[in-house]
Amino acid sequence: MVVDDHPMWRDGVARDLAERGFDVRATAGDAGSAVRIARTVRPDVVLMDLNLGEGSGVTATGQITAELTDTRVLVLSASGEHADVLEAVKAGASGYLLKSASVAELVDAVTRTAAGDAVFTPGLAGLVLGEYRRMAADPDPRDQPRLTDRETDVLRLVAKGLTARQIATRLVLSHRTVENHVQSTLRKLQLHNRVELARYAIEHGLDGEPDGTRQ
Amino acid sequence: MNNQQGRDPTLPLWRAAVLLRVLTLLFALGVIIYHLDEYRRPWLALVMGGVMTVWTVVVAVRYLKPTEKLLAFTVFDLAVCCAVMTSSLLVLTPLQLEGEPVPLVPTVWVTGVVAAGAVAAGPVAGGVFGGVVAAFNYGVRGYVDTDLTRDLMLLVGVGFVLGLAAASSRRSAARLETALRTEAATAERERLARSIHDSVLQVLAHVRRRGGELGGDAAELAKLAGEQEVALRALVSSAPASTEDGAADLGARLKILETERVSVSVPATPVPLPAAAANELASAVREALANVGKHAGVTAKAWVLLEDLGSDIVVSVRDDGVGIAPGRVAAAEREGRMGIARSLRGRVAELGGSVTLETAPGEGVEWELRVPRERSGAK
Repeated sequence: MVVDDHPMWRDGVARDLAERGFDVRATAGDAGSAVRIARTVRPDVVLMDLNLGEGSGVTATGQITAELTDTRVLVLSASGEHADVLEAVKAGASGYLLKSASVAELVDAVTRTAAGDAVFTPGLAGLVLGEYRRMAADPDPRDQPRLTDRETDVLRLVAKGLTARQIATRLVLSHRTVENHVQSTLRKLQLHNRVELARYAIEHGLDGEPDGTRQ
Repeated sequence: MNNQQGRDPTLPLWRAAVLLRVLTLLFALGVIIYHLDEYRRPWLALVMGGVMTVWTVVVAVRYLKPTEKLLAFTVFDLAVCCAVMTSSLLVLTPLQLEGEPVPLVPTVWVTGVVAAGAVAAGPVAGGVFGGVVAAFNYGVRGYVDTDLTRDLMLLVGVGFVLGLAAASSRRSAARLETALRTEAATAERERLARSIHDSVLQVLAHVRRRGGELGGDAAELAKLAGEQEVALRALVSSAPASTEDGAADLGARLKILETERVSVSVPATPVPLPAAAANELASAVREALANVGKHAGVTAKAWVLLEDLGSDIVVSVRDDGVGIAPGRVAAAEREGRMGIARSLRGRVAELGGSVTLETAPGEGVEWELRVPRERSGAK
């Protein structure tokens, strides 16, 4: 499923994916219809643009990943939106790709997202690294997630453009271990985000039914 | 520009000066009525009371709409006030003037014009107006004593102090307006740069990529799009993001260096540095990237990573080019062929930081620029 408010871009991406054997079930042009259509179609992967005309791609990402546990969201976005990209990843997106990526890169990213892997561009690694550093510097000692030294090393190398294989060689790890480290940095961040949201809801008396069960 | 900014910054001072005029007028009229029976020419005292009342209304109307050309009017105001003072020579008896002093006809009403002159034209004018009023005071009384000299000190002093207040409120209003305008202009430039980066540049990059894949005529279009992309990117990056207090977000400075071949990773939150330090680091990174283009091969990609470690700022620039064999770096440096290393070290040392270089054949080159925040903040 492809979500983007530019019809030309949306159809172009859908066509590229269809030509390479993907089954593009649906497209959507705004956040509201993205969430509605995703509920019906239950796609494996949602390609999400963040800069939607109406409603935010970040909110839609959060709703889709919270409701549909088998659906993964891959953010496909312009490079200037890094703050939004970080929010989308914290809300549950499992990866991020620049709109300027080649078709081959796009196909590879969608395949990996469908398989449940995180798609980490160097840009996203820099954002996640920065976010952990920001939390580490935060004087509020609430149970902030921390990176292990190994995870920090791995993220730094990803941000410097090394492939998982190169990182594995350099740190003398298995390819799979590198992938696991990357995944775990993301999972900790998303878990922390959910805990924070729940805490916020309880503190502000908003703890009713979770969003997913309400229609 | 809205009303708030367009308003004369001295308007509150003018209001106070007019209020002073009205209050002192009431006092002067009271004094006239109290001494009316004792005056040499009571009718003239009443006429002068009328003149002061009318003139107070005139100056109130004029001063509550202050414009740039008020000084001439305040000089005329001064003349009227001095004339009313001089009329005391006809109103008061010689004994009232000298022996057992009765206040002059306008009494303290004349302080209003000193305030007006000061607010209109600053401390010097305020002092001069005070001096002129005091001189007429001496002249009309015809003698010098400590009371009159005390009046002189008060009049000149008040004129000077009020003038200073008016001048400084004008100065700070002008400064505030400049600051607001600069801020608005900077915000607008940043907004444009961001929006160009997010939209037009993405489309051009896309056209360039797809056109190159398609080949033929499309490749020609792709080449044109690529040239425009480079030109536009340079234009956008010439609008540096900085704030009034001289701090700049190094993240934003580096992010605009991103191209098809260069990936730039920065934190989502700004990395504020003094503008000079941010400029220097951005220039160093630009230089390192230019060097990648020259030596690592045309197909080499590069990655920039900015990390804010709190006490230190670390910028890494890595490429996947041919790299340099161990030992070759020192040799090249000795032979003076490593201009880039010298230049980067020089720039970063200026900021109190250090540069490390890692390379191996086929592994590309990685520069790490580390700058302490404190030192770069002190500069």
